[in-house]
Amino acid sequence: MQVFLQTFIGGMSLGAIYALVALGFSLVFRTMGLVNFSHGNVVMIGAYLASTFYLSTKLPFALAMVLAVGGTGLIGVIIERVLRPLENKDFDLMLIGTIGFGIVLEALAIIIWGATGNAVPNPVASAPLQLFGLRIRTYDLVVLAIAATAAVLLVFFLQSTKRGAAMQAVAMDHEAATAVGIHVGRSNALAFMLGAGLAALAGGLVGPLLYVNPTMGGALGIKGFAAAILGGFGSIPGAIVGGFAIGVLDAFTAGHFQGYSELVTFLVFTVVIMIRPTGIFGERTVNRA
Amino acid sequence: MSIDTDSPATATTGADFTVEGLTVHYGGVCAVNGISLTVPAGRSVGLIGANGAGKTSALRALMGLVPRKVSAVRFGDTDLARVKARDMVRHGIGYVPEGRHVFVGLPVEKNLLLGAYARPWDAATRASLAEVYELFPVLEEMKDRLAGALSGGQQQMLAIGRALMSQPKLLLLDEPSMGLSPKLVETILAVLQRLKGQGLSMLLVEQNAKLTFEATSTCLVMEHGEVVLSGTSAELSHDARVRKIYLGL
Repeated sequence: MQVFLQTFIGGMSLGAIYALVALGFSLVFRTMGLVNFSHGNVVMIGAYLASTFYLSTKLPFALAMVLAVGGTGLIGVIIERVLRPLENKDFDLMLIGTIGFGIVLEALAIIIWGATGNAVPNPVASAPLQLFGLRIRTYDLVVLAIAATAAVLLVFFLQSTKRGAAMQAVAMDHEAATAVGIHVGRSNALAFMLGAGLAALAGGLVGPLLYVNPTMGGALGIKGFAAAILGGFGSIPGAIVGGFAIGVLDAFTAGHFQGYSELVTFLVFTVVIMIRPTGIFGERTVNRA
Repeated sequence: MSIDTDSPATATTGADFTVEGLTVHYGGVCAVNGISLTVPAGRSVGLIGANGAGKTSALRALMGLVPRKVSAVRFGDTDLARVKARDMVRHGIGYVPEGRHVFVGLPVEKNLLLGAYARPWDAATRASLAEVYELFPVLEEMKDRLAGALSGGQQQMLAIGRALMSQPKLLLLDEPSMGLSPKLVETILAVLQRLKGQGLSMLLVEQNAKLTFEATSTCLVMEHGEVVLSGTSAELSHDARVRKIYLGL
């Protein structure tokens, strides 16, 4: 039981990271019906920006994170702006465009930061908490708190603000949205910016847990994508639940199957999706492909 | 223009809406061939014709939702020829799309509020909301339901209500009777007549000629992308040819 709980808690912090990645995937899919295949690489850029600001310029970790989120959000805006002429014209090219952006971002990272990665020291120095015989790293709690705050703010934005409502309207019917006066391109840019900001948050937070390197986007992107699908692609609660599910699953398979852990994780994922193709919170989403 | 029942018909700002030489091509096919029309201030004009005559294309082109060629689009003194589709609402043009196109995953009230997207959301918006609920009481009963859960008739009311939330001076309606039961068509007609009575300018595109003649003062008949006949609705409803083709009499 002790081991079970310890593993479970260990999976939670990575789960929160996957949830953030999944939220970005789902937000862009929800608004544009588009899978942003460069999302994993945007996470990687976020991780590099955060670690660079934190390590080279000796900024406090929180400030480094804020700068990384802002800078990466700007990259999201650029991606949307470049792809915008294809919106409603060639959907397949748009998808391929996001793959292209992923490759460009990875190449840029290698040029700027080199092919080898760097380790980020834990920004929260305090000793682990001892609770009912369990060891809980303080940094894991920080990750959970930040991820929870981001999710709450995102839900508030979508549910309770005019711009959030407009963004959802664009997702459901972009022509009717245009007729009521919504600038569809600007709304999509905002979705991409928020998605990239969430990616940067995930990347910045995962830095001290993993090793920051140019190819980390692939692994994180695919896990976040799986999390979004598992929860129900396009669903906000689904992305959160899916993220934690993949994170905890990861922690258990790592303990039991070592080298084959990823194989087992994705096998479980595949079986779940075969049984329930719409994911846990499967809902009606935009269908344009 | 307010949809307040007490406001007199003279409350219109008195702007005529004029379109000249509107042409729409899809690939090599000409859907609309240089039509011109005018909606005088406070009047309602019908555009009838068979399926595929180009009515919907004409209306969508007026809004700027499809590529078009046009010599002039004027609303009063304002030139709308270069105004983008998303800004038409800011010039007082409300649009009710064919097939309703409500925001299915959002609650009814959010749908209505989004109709007022181009206005600040304030006390005046609340007043407009109350007016729409007064016009369509069923929408108030359903205000927290998702729009996708509404019946076809309720969705049509929602689509009209959403367009009214922008406080338009001209309402463009595309087939509001499509797919509705005769009883619901009567309800929609009553609403259109009430809006007409309040002096709201309207351009009504319809296949249902009977509804159109009752809801409008003048009518245009479209065939193969061109206007082939026009006159007052009363005249046209007694025209032998129109009666034969569009009223089945």
